[in-house]
Amino acid sequence: METYQGKVRLVIKNYPYIYRDYSHLAAEASLDAGDQGKYWEMHDLLLKRSPKLDRQSLIGYAKELRLDVKAFTESLDGKKHATQIERDKQLAVSLDLYNTPTFFINGRKVIGELPFENFKKIIDEELKNAPR
Amino acid sequence: MKRFVLVVLFFLLVTQALSDEKRFSVPLNDSPAYGPASARVTIIEFLDFQ
Repeated sequence: METYQGKVRLVIKNYPYIYRDYSHLAAEASLDAGDQGKYWEMHDLLLKRSPKLDRQSLIGYAKELRLDVKAFTESLDGKKHATQIERDKQLAVSLDLYNTPTFFINGRKVIGELPFENFKKIIDEELKNAPR
Repeated sequence: MKRFVLVVLFFLLVTQALSDEKRFSVPLNDSPAYGPASARVTIIEFLDFQ
């Protein structure tokens, strides 16, 4: 992202896999942190610490990021963002997605964790072709 | 000769279809976003943290 400062925007949709224990909870945690202005900090931390994403670990991460832990825990336990996550899941299903991560780069579908070079190629093409 | 022309035509059509990569329209809604809305490239990532 730093390579393309100002030229590229990244938008996250949650597609927690239904049969994994903590996928849904971790998605909740990321959005709860977002409520306190630290979505990306939590996003990075979750990816780094995955698969250690049980409730206690998530609360620990909230502490680590100096969030208001009480508010965070209430949101987490209350599944405050369940509707938003469900909406993302429905969207994924409607797009026939079966894998994460799946990317849409200006609408072009890219499936899986690819080397940066692959992304760079598509992004550069798009930067060249997209209307200013 | 006629058959040859048909085969060439067919390949041209297939190549054309493959190069026209499909573009999906994905609504952004209020999903977390990093980078300016004016960015010329938008990457939407569907992710699972686990």
